[in-house]
Amino acid sequence: MFLQTMVRSSVAVAAVLGFFSTAAHAEQEPCIGNSAATTGPAAFGGQSIKMGAEIAIDEINAKGGVLGKPLRFVQYDDAGAPPRGVDNTRRVALSDKCVAILGGYHSTVAVAQAEPVNEIGIPYVGVLAANTKAIENGKTPNFMFRVSAKDKWVARFLVEQALKSSKTGKIAFLYENTGWGNGALPDVKDAMSKVGKELVAAETFNWADQDMTPQIIRARDAGADLVLLWALDREGNQILRSMDKVGWKPPIIGAWGIAGNLGELAGPLANGVEVIQTYTFMGSMDPKKQAFWDKLKAKYGIKDPSEIKMGSGVANAYDAVYIIAKAIEKAGSYDWAKVREALYTVNYDGLVASYEPAFDAKDPERQDAILPKYYKLTVWTDGKLLPLEQTSYGKSN
Amino acid sequence: MTTTIQYILSGLAIGGIYALVALGFHIMWSAARAVNFAHGDTLMLGAVLAVVGVDAEIPLPIACLLGIIAGAVFGVLLERFAIRPFTATSNSIGWMLTTIAVGVMIESLATLQFGGFSRPLASPGVKSAVHILGAGVYPQELAIPVFALLVMFGLKLMQRHTLVGRAMQAVAHDKRAAALMGINVNRIVAFSFALASLLGAAAGVLVAPVIQVSASMGALLGLKGFAVAIIGGITSAPGVVISGLCFGIMEKFVEGYISTAAREIIGFSVMILVLLAFPHGLFGKREVLKV
Repeated sequence: MFLQTMVRSSVAVAAVLGFFSTAAHAEQEPCIGNSAATTGPAAFGGQSIKMGAEIAIDEINAKGGVLGKPLRFVQYDDAGAPPRGVDNTRRVALSDKCVAILGGYHSTVAVAQAEPVNEIGIPYVGVLAANTKAIENGKTPNFMFRVSAKDKWVARFLVEQALKSSKTGKIAFLYENTGWGNGALPDVKDAMSKVGKELVAAETFNWADQDMTPQIIRARDAGADLVLLWALDREGNQILRSMDKVGWKPPIIGAWGIAGNLGELAGPLANGVEVIQTYTFMGSMDPKKQAFWDKLKAKYGIKDPSEIKMGSGVANAYDAVYIIAKAIEKAGSYDWAKVREALYTVNYDGLVASYEPAFDAKDPERQDAILPKYYKLTVWTDGKLLPLEQTSYGKSN
Repeated sequence: MTTTIQYILSGLAIGGIYALVALGFHIMWSAARAVNFAHGDTLMLGAVLAVVGVDAEIPLPIACLLGIIAGAVFGVLLERFAIRPFTATSNSIGWMLTTIAVGVMIESLATLQFGGFSRPLASPGVKSAVHILGAGVYPQELAIPVFALLVMFGLKLMQRHTLVGRAMQAVAHDKRAAALMGINVNRIVAFSFALASLLGAAAGVLVAPVIQVSASMGALLGLKGFAVAIIGGITSAPGVVISGLCFGIMEKFVEGYISTAAREIIGFSVMILVLLAFPHGLFGKREVLKV
């Protein structure tokens, strides 16, 4: 009897759920969602996405919106926690019924979101987190896209730059012991073996470690003459200080975790440290960048470009919103599947890159829109992260 | 040779931080038979307030001093509201939860107000490294273990030669008997928490130029400092300082000769083994309980 009741009620629940999920799928609305850290240590990531997305949406709405309706932006905090990211994904898709969802700062969250995104079938466009596997997840059809850097390509790009600067070709890799750092290790090794080389040292460290002299000594004694760095600002600073202590100052090229406030933390020790970005507001601006910067200044009351801690996030989010808006226009509908198809046909000349087209349905690697040729090197110079070519470091190379 | 000396010097710097945190635990435990599990956050509070002070254009030494005083006030308030109400009966453990809760709240509040980035605290001690037999170290780093040793000797002197020091020992030994002898037990306990927190905040300001200031800087240091206090024997000030310094040096050698990943595994394994062999810690005395 009990069993019967159980079965009956489960069937009823399943029927109701089924009804609701079809209902939820039925009608999407002109809104773009986002799950990102807006609190906690990486809150600057969520803030930069919000700024870029809102400015793009303001511009689009000023010209009449998409398909005659104004676009909305909704952002939810995941504080870098994967379960909250998954929860936010469902909320954006099933409750807010947004056309698409933008990704956040944390790779661990992006990897966790891949599953619900493909299950629900809502287009996801990552704008910061660079983990390779989050987007190249092997699913078809794949609803995960990205308008940001990809670790696999970043690794190739940085290895290329490193071999240009290294005299002996002996390169050490220092990386944080997290999903981001450990995920990059195979990418860097692959990139090295593609040019027939091997890392002479691969050393790891934990968040909040205060001293890295053992790792530095091992890398130095292995004969490295250049260091590739996958770290955040705090640990990047401890590495520079440990190098200072043991009296070893190799050139350093890093992924964008050290693009925040390394210059403030390490002072003159940071001078010459190169960092990859997709976009920067620092240094001299061309008219397009100047116009964008003026809008940011006016809307958010920012006074100096150095106040923006993740310029790449602002520009990536801006471009991503435009690409989504153009895809909606092309699809002629807010429907998820149609918009996904249309994403492969969008051509757009954006802030970060010229997208021709943004994505390529034939190539699983091209769920990523920003090609390595658009990656930029910036360099810490007296506390400021400037475009490499505008500094004395760029000219001496 | 140079590498060995480098590991010892770096280890002393880290170990000095552990020792300072562990000394705070020792002081609190000695007087109250309870500790503030948020003691790591007292360090953070001192350092964060010093940076906030510098941001508000208060001169550096005064900002540091204000941070340290605020730390002491925090200790007194915490003892009064988060510990004393929960130690009324001898076996109550509510204070564990309340102090951990306060720690989490303080850290969240600091993240909200201070932001996520680490911030530097200027000091002449980290301008340039000094070299000893080929190994490099910042003067500020050398100051940390030296300060820990000074505090240790200072505590000993205070316990032997001052009224308040003797009263602290009496309270530690037997609260009821001390009260019957006319000692204001509550005031002595409050004083010991103030002293521990003052030292904690001072340690925070001292280590800040080396490890940078952030809302999360205290959590792991608090845990390691507590581990060191237990290994050394929480009732012995020299015990916790010596084991703190040794623990720091051991960590550097594990990182140097095995790997960074092995550090916590080996470190905490050693802690468990020491406790199995010496249940009261390496230098702790067995406490005789009269029933």
